[in-house]
Amino acid sequence: MNLQVMQLLKPKADTFDVSTSDDEGPQGDLKYLPCPPLNSEACNCEREMAANFWTSSHFKQLLEPEEVDVVPSLDKEKGLTLEEFKMIKIHMTNYISRLGQQCKVRQRVVATAITYFRRVYTRKSMTEYDPLLVAPTCLYLASKAEESTVQARHVIFYIKKIHKKFVYDLKDILEMEMKLLEALNYYLVVYHPYRALSQLLQDVGMADLTFLCWSLINDSYKMDLILIYPPYMIALACIYIASVLKEKDTTAWFEELHVDMNVVKNISMEILDFYDAYRQPIPDERINAALSKLSSKP
Amino acid sequence: MAAAAPGQLNLDESPSWGSRSVDCFEKLEQIGEGTYGQVYMAKEIRTGEIVALKKIRMDNEREGFPITAIREIKILKKLHHENVIQLKEIVTSPGPEKDEQGRSADGNKYKGSIYMVFEYMDHDLTGLADRPGMRFSVAQIKCYMRQLLTGLHYCHVNQVLHRDIKGSNLLIDNEGNLKLADFGLARSFSGDHNANLTNRVITLWYRVIMLWTDLQNCYLELQNMAQLSTCGLSDAFLQSFCMENQFCLGKTRMNMMGLSHPFDALALRFFSQSFDMILLHMPEQLNKIFELCGGPDEAIWPGVTKMPWYTNFKPTRPMKKRLREVFKHFDRHALELLERMLTLDPSQRISAKDALDAEYFWNDPLPCDPKSLPKYESSHEFQTKKKRQQQRQHEEMAKRQKLQHPPQHARLPPIQPTGQAHPQLRPGPNQPIHNSQPPVVAGPSHHYGKPRPSGGPNRYPPGGNPSGGYNPNRGGQGGGYSGGPYPQGRGPPYAASGMPGAGPRGGGGGGGSGGGYGVGAPNYPQAGPYGSGSGAGRGPNMIGGNRNQQYGWQQ
Repeated sequence: MNLQVMQLLKPKADTFDVSTSDDEGPQGDLKYLPCPPLNSEACNCEREMAANFWTSSHFKQLLEPEEVDVVPSLDKEKGLTLEEFKMIKIHMTNYISRLGQQCKVRQRVVATAITYFRRVYTRKSMTEYDPLLVAPTCLYLASKAEESTVQARHVIFYIKKIHKKFVYDLKDILEMEMKLLEALNYYLVVYHPYRALSQLLQDVGMADLTFLCWSLINDSYKMDLILIYPPYMIALACIYIASVLKEKDTTAWFEELHVDMNVVKNISMEILDFYDAYRQPIPDERINAALSKLSSKP
Repeated sequence: MAAAAPGQLNLDESPSWGSRSVDCFEKLEQIGEGTYGQVYMAKEIRTGEIVALKKIRMDNEREGFPITAIREIKILKKLHHENVIQLKEIVTSPGPEKDEQGRSADGNKYKGSIYMVFEYMDHDLTGLADRPGMRFSVAQIKCYMRQLLTGLHYCHVNQVLHRDIKGSNLLIDNEGNLKLADFGLARSFSGDHNANLTNRVITLWYRVIMLWTDLQNCYLELQNMAQLSTCGLSDAFLQSFCMENQFCLGKTRMNMMGLSHPFDALALRFFSQSFDMILLHMPEQLNKIFELCGGPDEAIWPGVTKMPWYTNFKPTRPMKKRLREVFKHFDRHALELLERMLTLDPSQRISAKDALDAEYFWNDPLPCDPKSLPKYESSHEFQTKKKRQQQRQHEEMAKRQKLQHPPQHARLPPIQPTGQAHPQLRPGPNQPIHNSQPPVVAGPSHHYGKPRPSGGPNRYPPGGNPSGGYNPNRGGQGGGYSGGPYPQGRGPPYAASGMPGAGPRGGGGGGGSGGGYGVGAPNYPQAGPYGSGSGAGRGPNMIGGNRNQQYGWQQ
């Protein structure tokens, strides 16, 4: 199993950007520290005062897997299947990261944008909210929310570089921004697994696996994990996969953490399943077919 | 874990995942002017609940939803504390809404307005303190002060800097609760990483200056209050102000927790950047601080002389710490706390948290229970200010017609030099304060970078009037500490209160001898321009005048 998984991982980790900008390596600036109960430093004595992940809207909005894997009814009417729905989300996730690379924003902005994107489609349909417009708008909004604003006209400029047939203009992005804010209920703070990762890796003494784990986390955004699990659990799952791959024994360390290993293993399995299912890149025709279903008149 | 059924919870709150329309509320009256929009008192039609609606100004058509609003929303959604204002929800006005100019939006939602809905608070501190005859008891002051510090501490723990602490942003309800409000300038900072404070946000350095002036304003305002109340509610605010302020001074925006924080050193790097700008534009403000707290030197701030900017800003002459002298009427504990809060060296300055443990709060009279406080009729700075402004504007107009800018005005006594910085930084409503000041200066030209208007009556040489601002005992002419530094609009509630006419000092104008500016007077016996104008022009501020008399500002 190990070998197989490694083969799967190898090309993926390379193709998916590890770091979208030069100013941020794996130790990059991820300012919202999730506060896993296992980390006594993060949980300082001020805990009762501090707004942390456990009091955040992100935590309160975590969903059950069944709630995420639902095709919005309007899209269903147009014949969109769950598989196609997921496929479009994966495709647009890649799109957002490519756009993010073009705009030279930090990985954190990309991750936040993807989270917004995925969150929107737990509430809105792709029929009403065209993914091709929502995706860049999410990146634009995330760049503001993460304090590294990219001007809207620059976003447009970069979209046109990677996507020649982009039909929307500045006005559409700004209008969609308002709709997104509403759809997100103005909850803009997102916690990510990256921060927890570096702390955890140091603790477990596997800092040499940072690159691998970081890539795994990047890939985890192609799924809806960030909407379902607390970020530090995703980080743990990635560490778990990495440690199994590299044949490092972390059993004792995981035991000390007092986390629910079943959850960690479930997340790990989901990630591995994902690699298995999407070993080949999704053919463009399938994406286009799915997208054209959305634009068809019922 | 995620099993806490968060979905249902959210569904209850907001079934459609959209915002409600502002039509759910009935606007009652305008109660304030926020950093980027008006604030209204409104009633929720369905429940009858009174709320405050803060309109988000959407005038940047090219960059969509303002980033300032994004910051404020992000921060407010993160903070939940009894001493921090609670954001209840956000509502939109979808359709074309006519704005003040009668333009109507074209139906696009993004051109509509967005409102933040807050709990309604009866007063803001400035408004409350400004009520005629208002006098806070010591226990009451301590009660407010403690709440302020608790709220501030909560913000700091959550890595939020408010950056705009001042009377009008401290809201008080009739239960005696005090809450921090207006996080429009607030920023999150990260405790262990400073990458977000790099050149990317360079424009913010200008903000710092604006902020700085604000604080300066507030600072002087507090000086006024310090003199008015016998045992300093003001010092409370002075303290909190200074905690914020010092982070501007010493640590830029990083950290007003003061304290020996690990990233002090980093902060100082930013200091050097912003400092130049501060230095360039408002050395007077710095001087003010130094006059009160002493000039920075190795003795009170080890390492300060090693800092890159030190030669630029070190005081031209040695300055002694005058805190104890200036606030000698404070009781021992208040003074002690004040001193620790006004420490220049950030590593020695007291944090909000430690301040809460200070003797001051644990000695008689103890802070009272908020609920025991008297209830007052609602008072907001905005309203009182507006009334006064109108009145003043009227007077100014009349006066300007009389005086046609006599040339000698170009040589004016050195007034508190702060004054001239404001008109550009804060283009307030257009009503000049100095009768002789060309209206242009107060205009909406937003030149943060521009040194100061050249020529003209408001070009006062700096430094001519040290200490006059807050020492009630110096300068026989006494207490007109407030006149100069406040330009219109933003001004303190007491602006002009000490001016001739109302004050016991000036003898109705002519004899003013520039007294409005305190100690400066002796040097400028012919303080003409204000002398003649003052009786007519500055007089009308009856509230201020009354207060001065009432509280015996001269001691």
